[in-house]
Amino acid sequence: MSSQQSADTARVRMHAIGKSFGGVAVLSDVGFHIEPGEIVALLGANGAGKSTLMKIMTGVYSRDTGEVAINGQPVVMSAPKDAVEAGISFLPQEISVMPEMTVAENIYLGLMRRKNALGLNNTSDMETTAKAMLAQVGFDHIPLNAQVGHLSVAEQRVVEIARALAIDAQVLVMDEPTAALSEQDAQTMFEALRSLRNGGTSIVYISHYLSEVFEIADRIEVLRDGLNAGSFRTQDTTIEAVLEAMLGRTADKLFDHRPSTLTDTALLELSDLSWREGLHGVSLTVRPGEMVGVFGLVGSGVEHLGKVIFGAEAGGLAGSMRLDGKPYSPRSPRDGKAQGIGYVTAERKTDGILSELSVAQNLAAAFWPDYRNGPFASKSAETQLADRWIESFSIRTQGPEQVMRFLSGGNQQKVCVARWLHEGVRLLILEEPTRGVDMGARRDIYARLGDYAAEGLAILVLSSDAEEIAGLCDRSMVMNRGRIVGRFDAGADTNTLMAATANGVAMDA
Amino acid sequence: MATTQQKSRLVELLTGPASGVLILLAFYIALLVFFTFLTPFFMTTRNLTSIASNVAFIGLMAAAGTPLIVAGGLDLSVAAVAGLSGVLIALLNAAGWPIWLAVGGAMGMGAIVGLANGLLATKFKLNPLIVTLATMSIVGGLALILTGGLTKPVMQPSFNWIGQGRVFGIPVPALLMLAVYVALALLMKMTHFGRYVYAVGGNPEASRLIGLPVNRVQITLYIVSAMSGALAGAMLAAMLGAAAPAAASPHLLTVIAAIILGGTSLAGGRGSIWGTLIAVLILGTLNNGLTLNNVSSFWQDVTRGVVLILAVGVDQLRLHLQAR
Repeated sequence: MSSQQSADTARVRMHAIGKSFGGVAVLSDVGFHIEPGEIVALLGANGAGKSTLMKIMTGVYSRDTGEVAINGQPVVMSAPKDAVEAGISFLPQEISVMPEMTVAENIYLGLMRRKNALGLNNTSDMETTAKAMLAQVGFDHIPLNAQVGHLSVAEQRVVEIARALAIDAQVLVMDEPTAALSEQDAQTMFEALRSLRNGGTSIVYISHYLSEVFEIADRIEVLRDGLNAGSFRTQDTTIEAVLEAMLGRTADKLFDHRPSTLTDTALLELSDLSWREGLHGVSLTVRPGEMVGVFGLVGSGVEHLGKVIFGAEAGGLAGSMRLDGKPYSPRSPRDGKAQGIGYVTAERKTDGILSELSVAQNLAAAFWPDYRNGPFASKSAETQLADRWIESFSIRTQGPEQVMRFLSGGNQQKVCVARWLHEGVRLLILEEPTRGVDMGARRDIYARLGDYAAEGLAILVLSSDAEEIAGLCDRSMVMNRGRIVGRFDAGADTNTLMAATANGVAMDA
Repeated sequence: MATTQQKSRLVELLTGPASGVLILLAFYIALLVFFTFLTPFFMTTRNLTSIASNVAFIGLMAAAGTPLIVAGGLDLSVAAVAGLSGVLIALLNAAGWPIWLAVGGAMGMGAIVGLANGLLATKFKLNPLIVTLATMSIVGGLALILTGGLTKPVMQPSFNWIGQGRVFGIPVPALLMLAVYVALALLMKMTHFGRYVYAVGGNPEASRLIGLPVNRVQITLYIVSAMSGALAGAMLAAMLGAAAPAAASPHLLTVIAAIILGGTSLAGGRGSIWGTLIAVLILGTLNNGLTLNNVSSFWQDVTRGVVLILAVGVDQLRLHLQAR
């Protein structure tokens, strides 16, 4: 990496940064810098350490080792406000504007304490400031008194950027800024970013979309497993070179599943399925005993597919779904369940676990009436079920009566999966089945899914983790902006999946 | 060393699964002892049975309100339903309906109001606070319209027995209330429906995504709540031998206070029937004991408020200790 110079021109320089959580190193000896008037893309697979590095830069986390210098001056940041005062602003993935307030009010939000002589809000200062900030971004045609909620998503992004400029941000850290944007909106935002760069602002751009990165970034920094894995000038490199730096050699199969008794008849068959703005003309089949994966990044539409099939997102459907060859149109999760479909949500904490109930009750919940003693609910039947799963799925808990929220993420996830491994369930849909799950639990979950698939359970995995889809599934697909953009009937490795997403965007553009 | 051990034992006592109910029970016993020493007349059969009769009416409404709030609902219309129920019984009976048919009519009215509350709060996704505030106003208004604001007599010996009668010296209202508590406690503990109640209130979205009948559970509980209001209204009319349209409404806040004091979380997912029963007894006993000591009813309101805040404070402390 570049050496520390006596007159450092870098706006921000991070040197030999190390950070561990609970004894696990997330970053080791990582360097990063950004010059004035530069757009740097920060890339890496899930868990590479991108967000940890940026949280250190924006004062959310403290570093264990290393130094951070801003404009050549070493700094210690202990809270996000220290970073803001040093001119570093973080723009999260979800746009955070006040939809009920005007454009000018939104931009002026951080300066509201500037009052006029009467101690009232300084309207004229607010308007001049807002106007100037929008001009800097090249968007002074946005009316100052428009209500922000009525603007397009791209314009809301621009207002958010202008708000950061108003509090003298010199460095903008943007996390997946186009995730919620259409292709056209993304272009609009790029214009704003370019005019900012030309004015001397530094922008750190975190994204999964490689084509986008190649379009906007001057330089690409890659992290892998908490280490620097490559630094590229965009004009001198290729998508393949960057992908290789991100992923290393192709990972071994996490779990080797061989479908044994595949029939030709599909259990689930989607043809030309569209749902509101989320899914467009999706066709796919899942056969009994088969593990089918759909890979898609955040905002790709993959997060809607499971809910639509399960019946949790009824209404607004076009195209057809068939189950066992018969038309299937669920109107609620109860319909899906009655047809033998199970669904494990990606949002385990908020929508998955019943946090105040026991492990045993969580396991029994989906099929409670089956655990009975005559007409009554039977606690001992629930306990028996729990004992069996705790043993066979190595769920770490104090016992069946342990309250669910005290379990670790991996063990909670095992419970969420196990509750659907029940007689009568023919198709199990899993969203992000191992997000936030440790390696051990991850292997346990894959192995259990493999066992059930071998017995004929059809499994549909929806994930933003390419390695997971590549390692687990017999057949895989890639989704982008609500469409299937890649189909790999013999499975696919991680690089192929990532490349398909990147190309998918390029084709749309 | 000894002190830390004592401390940890105290923490254990405070955080055990049934600790909330046990703390309430301990507080209730302390309250009984306190009034026994303070007032010679307090611990007499006559006074105790009078407490039992007096709390039955509030206890009935609080009983059914408990599972509803645990399941994430809320019913502010229950006391207004009680008022209309008494009025309907008096008017229908006066119009020539046999008394028990009139009672059946009142219960039917309760079921309809509960169904309306339930449908509006679930299918139409309206805020239960607003829905039941509105039905409270509508039902309360109807009772006044039907009677012109006047009290109507109900004098039927067989009917008045449910308000004034005794079995083995125990007032019938108290027995009725106890029967409802036992039935609801069994429902919550022994049936799948009871399991659903806690799951649905604790996390409605997770419950929906595992295919539990979220709306059906809540609608059922709205109906049960309004019907128990109607039953309470019948009991009050039987007790007084008359139905006043606004007789029940002032007790709404006591009903809600009892449910909260009993350890039920307004956010849903947590609560117990027995906790509510003890809370009802505490509030009723406090009322009785303070009256015996010539404390004005104005000060009784103040006392009730203080007890409520203390109870919620202790409950929060308990949850805080549990989380550690």
